[in-house]
Amino acid sequence: MSSRREFLQTIAGAVVAGGATRALPAWGEVEAGPSISGKEGMIVRSVRFLDLEAPADYLTSFITPVPHFFVRNHMHEPSALDPSQWKLSIGGEVDKPYSLTLADLAKLEARNVTNTLECAGNGRAFHNPVVPGVQWGKGAVGTARFSGPQLKMLLERAQLKSSAKHVMFRGLDDVPGKVPPFIRSIPIEKALEADTLVATKMNGAALTRHHGFPARAMVPGWVGAASCKWLTEIKLLDKPFDGNFMSPGYRMPNQPVKPGEAVKPEDTHSITALGVKSVIASPADGAKTKSKSITVRGAAWAGEADITKVEISTDGGDTWNPAALDAEHARYAWRLWSYQWKPAKGGDYLILSRATDSHSRTQPATAEWNPSGYLYNAYDQVKIHVEA
Amino acid sequence: MWKPSAILMLGIAVVMLSPAFWAQSKLPSSSLPAGPMQAKANTACLECHDAPIIAQQRLSKAAWTKEVDKMVKWGALVDAADRDALIEYLSVNFGTDKAPYVPARSSAAKGKH
Repeated sequence: MSSRREFLQTIAGAVVAGGATRALPAWGEVEAGPSISGKEGMIVRSVRFLDLEAPADYLTSFITPVPHFFVRNHMHEPSALDPSQWKLSIGGEVDKPYSLTLADLAKLEARNVTNTLECAGNGRAFHNPVVPGVQWGKGAVGTARFSGPQLKMLLERAQLKSSAKHVMFRGLDDVPGKVPPFIRSIPIEKALEADTLVATKMNGAALTRHHGFPARAMVPGWVGAASCKWLTEIKLLDKPFDGNFMSPGYRMPNQPVKPGEAVKPEDTHSITALGVKSVIASPADGAKTKSKSITVRGAAWAGEADITKVEISTDGGDTWNPAALDAEHARYAWRLWSYQWKPAKGGDYLILSRATDSHSRTQPATAEWNPSGYLYNAYDQVKIHVEA
Repeated sequence: MWKPSAILMLGIAVVMLSPAFWAQSKLPSSSLPAGPMQAKANTACLECHDAPIIAQQRLSKAAWTKEVDKMVKWGALVDAADRDALIEYLSVNFGTDKAPYVPARSSAAKGKH
């Protein structure tokens, strides 16, 4: 039977938060959980502009349902986007610039690519010292089956000039104030890979507005920022696009730097592929259990590489044991994993996970600190209490 | 057995109907903490953002200075005379010594998405 305090908390939570989880902001007010179309139970990092994170316990299915897929918006979503008027133009360093309607795009042969998409800033909140930006925890990551024509096919139809070295994407984000527009570019080599798409579908259905309807770039294995949403222009350039979201945005130091140290722009490079990483989805951090048999489970991914091994430590890193990798896998998708563990006795435990990939990279004990908090990939950890 | 619960429910209902209860409850889109620069912060920051993206930061004064100057460059309306006080307000309320921010969770709304 619930205590009176629990009952009061339940009532207050249900009323104030409209059924969503209660939250107590630092200054002590009760905060309401906002209603967001098509998104249930997500951690709200921001509403304007919409930034939603999946709780760790959502990272347990090979394909992430769209309602549980993270959202990272830099600006307002397009306020007025008429699909019948939408066009995608392809120009720049090409001989035959052209544009496509949504109906044109739908007639083209589509390719399916199952891709784990992760925000470059996922895990930013764990960097020490803290850095500004959306304070993502573990869940700015998800895996979906994206479908649409190959970017390569669209580019070749425009007849590329030899000077076409980079491919710029521009979306229809509503830009507030004097904020630079969200425009980025990728090198032509990545653009011409077979699995780089202009995606119009996600998990078999049309993209939702939060995920870039009617079309988005899909650059598999790379940080999410490469996969521009609400795509309306593709432009071939002779050099990388010069704009805020290419520099100073989305860059890492060329050499490791001391935590807190400033980095000169000329000592940085643009972020491309994701690193090797695993997260623990279950048990939850802080969990208390009476169980004598615990399944530790989670996901591991490595951008353009394959996961070869996930190891678990239940003694704070002194010893490591291999987790079982699920059979389901795809070229750019995460591997789900599990580890069956029988704690010898009750007490507090620190459970760690670390992944290794086909490029011989292993998750480090400490992530490489950088001024913008990108690519956090230290061992994941949860602390639990097993009752005696 | 049920009578004490019914009384408790009634009590809670009375509490929730009181203005004092709702004065403690604010939507995340509208609430920055009270202080001498609250109104300025509302104008400068909440024109584009909502409060949680600010409230989840735990930054030093130097880092807040960089953020405010970047946002002014990007169109935030901050009088030069208010700049230092706004940085102070943000540093005091969302400094590195503050307790961790606890985010809300979304509930699904019907409609186009």
